[in-house]
Amino acid sequence: MNGEYVMPPDAGPAWRAAAEYGFDMSLVEDALQLTPEQRLEQHQRALDLILEVKEAGERHAAK
Amino acid sequence: MPQNDKALLSRLKEQKVEFVIIGGVCGVLHGASLVTLDLDICCRFSRENLRRLEAAVKDLRPRHRLTTNKLPLELTDELCVRLKNIYLNTDLGVLDCLGEVAGIGDYEQVLQRSVPHVMSYGEFRMLNLDALIAAKAAVGRQKDLDAIRLLQAIKEKREQQKDLF
Repeated sequence: MNGEYVMPPDAGPAWRAAAEYGFDMSLVEDALQLTPEQRLEQHQRALDLILEVKEAGERHAAK
Repeated sequence: MPQNDKALLSRLKEQKVEFVIIGGVCGVLHGASLVTLDLDICCRFSRENLRRLEAAVKDLRPRHRLTTNKLPLELTDELCVRLKNIYLNTDLGVLDCLGEVAGIGDYEQVLQRSVPHVMSYGEFRMLNLDALIAAKAAVGRQKDLDAIRLLQAIKEKREQQKDLF
Protein backbone atom coordinates (compact mmCIF):
# COMPACT_ATOMS: atom_id res chain seq x y z
CA MET A 1 0.00 0.00 0.00
CA ASN A 2 1.11 3.54 -0.79
CA GLY A 3 4.40 2.32 -2.12
CA GLU A 4 5.99 1.60 -5.45
CA TYR A 5 5.28 -1.77 -6.98
CA VAL A 6 8.29 -3.98 -6.46
CA MET A 7 8.99 -5.83 -9.66
CA PRO A 8 9.53 -9.51 -8.92
CA PRO A 9 13.06 -10.65 -9.77
CA ASP A 10 11.74 -13.20 -12.26
CA ALA A 11 9.56 -10.65 -14.09
CA GLY A 12 9.87 -11.20 -17.83
CA PRO A 13 9.64 -8.58 -20.58
CA ALA A 14 5.86 -8.85 -20.98
CA TRP A 15 5.31 -8.51 -17.25
CA ARG A 16 7.60 -5.50 -17.10
CA ALA A 17 5.96 -3.94 -20.14
CA ALA A 18 2.49 -4.28 -18.61
CA ALA A 19 3.70 -2.72 -15.35
CA GLU A 20 5.40 0.13 -17.18
CA TYR A 21 2.24 0.68 -19.22
CA GLY A 22 0.43 1.37 -15.96
CA PHE A 23 -1.24 -1.85 -14.90
CA ASP A 24 -1.13 -2.61 -11.22
CA MET A 25 0.58 -5.97 -11.50
CA SER A 26 0.18 -6.67 -7.80
CA LEU A 27 -3.52 -7.16 -8.57
CA VAL A 28 -2.63 -9.67 -11.27
CA GLU A 29 -0.25 -11.45 -8.92
CA ASP A 30 -3.09 -11.74 -6.41
CA ALA A 31 -5.56 -12.90 -9.05
CA LEU A 32 -3.21 -15.62 -10.23
CA GLN A 33 -3.21 -17.09 -6.74
CA LEU A 34 -6.97 -17.60 -7.00
CA THR A 35 -8.98 -20.20 -8.88
CA PRO A 36 -10.89 -18.98 -11.94
CA GLU A 37 -14.11 -19.26 -9.94
CA GLN A 38 -12.67 -17.08 -7.19
CA ARG A 39 -11.48 -14.60 -9.83
CA LEU A 40 -15.01 -14.36 -11.17
CA GLU A 41 -16.38 -13.80 -7.66
CA GLN A 42 -13.84 -11.06 -7.06
CA HIS A 43 -14.75 -9.49 -10.38
CA GLN A 44 -18.43 -9.62 -9.42
CA ARG A 45 -17.76 -7.70 -6.21
CA ALA A 46 -15.86 -5.01 -8.13
CA LEU A 47 -18.60 -4.86 -10.74
CA ASP A 48 -21.34 -4.55 -8.11
CA LEU A 49 -19.49 -1.62 -6.58
CA ILE A 50 -19.02 0.12 -9.92
CA LEU A 51 -22.68 -0.33 -10.85
CA GLU A 52 -23.76 0.91 -7.43
CA VAL A 53 -21.66 4.06 -7.79
CA LYS A 54 -22.94 4.55 -11.34
CA GLU A 55 -26.56 4.25 -10.23
CA ALA A 56 -25.98 6.65 -7.35
CA GLY A 57 -24.52 9.13 -9.83
CA GLU A 58 -27.53 8.76 -12.11
CA ARG A 59 -29.93 9.25 -9.22
CA HIS A 60 -28.03 12.34 -8.14
CA ALA A 61 -28.05 13.75 -11.67
CA ALA A 62 -31.81 13.19 -11.95
CA LYS A 63 -32.53 15.33 -8.87
CA MET B 1 -29.11 -2.73 -14.27
CA PRO B 2 -27.38 -5.58 -12.42
CA GLN B 3 -24.85 -7.88 -14.05
CA ASN B 4 -24.74 -11.33 -12.52
CA ASP B 5 -22.44 -13.49 -14.61
CA LYS B 6 -22.57 -16.48 -12.29
CA ALA B 7 -26.36 -16.59 -12.43
CA LEU B 8 -26.35 -16.25 -16.21
CA LEU B 9 -23.74 -18.99 -16.58
CA SER B 10 -25.67 -21.27 -14.24
CA ARG B 11 -28.82 -20.83 -16.28
CA LEU B 12 -27.02 -21.57 -19.53
CA LYS B 13 -25.56 -24.68 -17.95
CA GLU B 14 -28.91 -25.84 -16.58
CA GLN B 15 -30.43 -25.64 -20.05
CA LYS B 16 -27.42 -27.43 -21.59
CA VAL B 17 -26.61 -24.58 -23.95
CA GLU B 18 -23.48 -25.34 -25.97
CA PHE B 19 -21.23 -22.35 -25.52
CA VAL B 20 -17.71 -21.09 -24.83
CA ILE B 21 -16.96 -18.09 -22.61
CA ILE B 22 -15.14 -15.39 -24.56
CA GLY B 23 -14.43 -11.69 -24.11
CA GLY B 24 -13.72 -9.85 -20.89
CA VAL B 25 -15.08 -12.48 -18.53
CA CYS B 26 -12.78 -14.99 -20.20
CA GLY B 27 -9.90 -12.60 -19.49
CA VAL B 28 -10.98 -12.35 -15.86
CA LEU B 29 -11.09 -16.15 -15.58
CA HIS B 30 -7.52 -16.23 -16.89
CA GLY B 31 -6.47 -13.74 -14.20
CA ALA B 32 -6.70 -10.34 -15.87
CA SER B 33 -7.47 -7.54 -13.43
CA LEU B 34 -10.09 -5.91 -15.63
CA VAL B 35 -13.73 -5.12 -15.07
CA THR B 36 -16.16 -5.95 -17.81
CA LEU B 37 -19.81 -4.99 -17.92
CA ASP B 38 -21.20 -7.85 -19.97
CA LEU B 39 -20.98 -11.58 -20.50
CA ASP B 40 -19.86 -12.63 -23.97
CA ILE B 41 -20.24 -16.17 -25.18
CA CYS B 42 -19.80 -17.93 -28.50
CA CYS B 43 -22.47 -20.51 -29.01
CA ARG B 44 -23.61 -22.97 -31.63
CA PHE B 45 -26.24 -21.23 -33.71
CA SER B 46 -28.32 -24.34 -34.34
CA ARG B 47 -32.07 -24.18 -33.86
CA GLU B 48 -31.88 -26.59 -30.91
CA ASN B 49 -29.15 -24.67 -29.16
CA LEU B 50 -30.80 -21.30 -29.67
CA ARG B 51 -34.02 -22.71 -28.23
CA ARG B 52 -32.04 -23.84 -25.19
CA LEU B 53 -30.57 -20.34 -24.94
CA GLU B 54 -34.06 -18.87 -25.13
CA ALA B 55 -35.25 -21.21 -22.38
CA ALA B 56 -32.31 -20.18 -20.18
CA VAL B 57 -33.35 -16.52 -20.21
CA LYS B 58 -37.06 -16.67 -20.94
CA ASP B 59 -38.17 -15.39 -17.52
CA LEU B 60 -35.54 -12.65 -17.47
CA ARG B 61 -37.35 -10.33 -19.89
CA PRO B 62 -34.72 -10.81 -22.62
CA ARG B 63 -34.63 -7.96 -25.14
CA HIS B 64 -32.51 -7.45 -28.24
CA ARG B 65 -30.46 -4.62 -26.79
CA LEU B 66 -29.22 -3.21 -30.10
CA THR B 67 -32.67 -2.84 -31.67
CA THR B 68 -34.33 0.56 -31.52
CA ASN B 69 -37.36 -0.62 -29.59
CA LYS B 70 -35.52 -3.23 -27.51
CA LEU B 71 -37.59 -5.99 -29.07
CA PRO B 72 -38.22 -9.04 -26.90
CA LEU B 73 -36.39 -12.26 -27.72
CA GLU B 74 -38.97 -14.35 -29.53
CA LEU B 75 -37.25 -16.95 -31.63
CA THR B 76 -38.84 -18.63 -34.59
CA ASP B 77 -37.37 -21.38 -36.76
CA GLU B 78 -36.81 -18.80 -39.49
CA LEU B 79 -35.02 -16.44 -37.11
CA CYS B 80 -32.84 -19.24 -35.79
CA VAL B 81 -31.51 -19.75 -39.32
CA ARG B 82 -31.05 -16.06 -40.00
CA LEU B 83 -29.47 -14.82 -36.78
CA LYS B 84 -25.68 -14.63 -36.62
CA ASN B 85 -25.38 -12.95 -33.21
CA ILE B 86 -27.81 -12.20 -30.37
CA TYR B 87 -27.18 -9.21 -28.12
CA LEU B 88 -29.43 -9.33 -25.08
CA ASN B 89 -30.37 -7.24 -22.10
CA THR B 90 -31.83 -9.42 -19.37
CA ASP B 91 -32.85 -8.92 -15.77
CA LEU B 92 -29.53 -10.52 -14.84
CA GLY B 93 -27.50 -8.29 -17.13
CA VAL B 94 -26.09 -8.16 -20.63
CA LEU B 95 -25.56 -11.42 -22.48
CA ASP B 96 -23.96 -11.22 -25.91
CA CYS B 97 -24.07 -14.44 -27.90
CA LEU B 98 -21.87 -14.65 -30.96
CA GLY B 99 -21.97 -17.24 -33.71
CA GLU B 100 -18.33 -16.64 -34.54
CA VAL B 101 -15.35 -14.84 -33.08
CA ALA B 102 -13.10 -12.53 -35.09
CA GLY B 103 -9.60 -13.92 -35.32
CA ILE B 104 -10.76 -17.43 -34.42
CA GLY B 105 -13.71 -18.48 -36.55
CA ASP B 106 -17.01 -20.23 -36.06
CA TYR B 107 -18.22 -22.10 -33.00
CA GLU B 108 -16.39 -25.31 -33.90
CA GLN B 109 -13.11 -23.46 -34.23
CA VAL B 110 -13.75 -21.59 -30.99
CA LEU B 111 -14.52 -24.89 -29.28
CA GLN B 112 -11.24 -26.38 -30.52
CA ARG B 113 -9.34 -23.47 -29.01
CA SER B 114 -11.09 -23.60 -25.67
CA VAL B 115 -10.22 -25.17 -22.33
CA PRO B 116 -12.58 -26.67 -19.76
CA HIS B 117 -12.77 -25.51 -16.20
CA VAL B 118 -14.89 -26.94 -13.42
CA MET B 119 -16.60 -24.48 -11.12
CA SER B 120 -18.92 -25.25 -8.24
CA TYR B 121 -21.92 -24.73 -10.52
CA GLY B 122 -20.72 -26.76 -13.48
CA GLU B 123 -18.03 -27.30 -16.05
CA PHE B 124 -17.54 -24.47 -18.49
CA ARG B 125 -15.35 -23.94 -21.51
CA MET B 126 -13.45 -20.72 -22.13
CA LEU B 127 -11.10 -19.62 -24.88
CA ASN B 128 -7.52 -20.59 -24.16
CA LEU B 129 -5.15 -17.73 -23.52
CA ASP B 130 -3.57 -17.70 -26.98
CA ALA B 131 -6.97 -17.72 -28.64
CA LEU B 132 -8.22 -14.92 -26.41
CA ILE B 133 -5.19 -12.84 -27.32
CA ALA B 134 -5.79 -13.55 -31.02
CA ALA B 135 -9.46 -12.60 -30.69
CA LYS B 136 -8.64 -9.33 -28.97
CA ALA B 137 -5.97 -8.53 -31.55
CA ALA B 138 -8.50 -9.10 -34.33
CA VAL B 139 -10.94 -6.62 -32.80
CA GLY B 140 -8.14 -4.16 -32.09
CA ARG B 141 -9.91 -1.46 -30.08
CA GLN B 142 -7.74 0.38 -27.57
CA LYS B 143 -9.27 -1.55 -24.67
CA ASP B 144 -8.50 -4.82 -26.46
CA LEU B 145 -4.91 -3.78 -27.07
CA ASP B 146 -4.62 -2.84 -23.40
CA ALA B 147 -6.03 -6.23 -22.39
CA ILE B 148 -3.50 -7.95 -24.66
CA ARG B 149 -0.64 -6.39 -22.68
CA LEU B 150 -2.06 -7.89 -19.54
CA LEU B 151 -2.82 -11.27 -21.11
CA GLN B 152 0.68 -11.49 -22.57
CA ALA B 153 2.09 -10.87 -19.10
CA ILE B 154 -0.12 -13.63 -17.67
CA LYS B 155 0.94 -15.97 -20.45
CA GLU B 156 4.58 -15.28 -19.71
CA LYS B 157 4.04 -15.87 -15.99
CA ARG B 158 2.29 -19.17 -16.70
CA GLU B 159 5.16 -20.29 -18.86
CA GLN B 160 7.48 -19.59 -15.93
CA GLN B 161 5.23 -21.27 -13.38
CA LYS B 162 3.62 -24.30 -14.95
CA ASP B 163 1.31 -24.90 -11.97
CA LEU B 164 -0.50 -21.58 -12.51
CA PHE B 165 -3.88 -21.39 -14.15
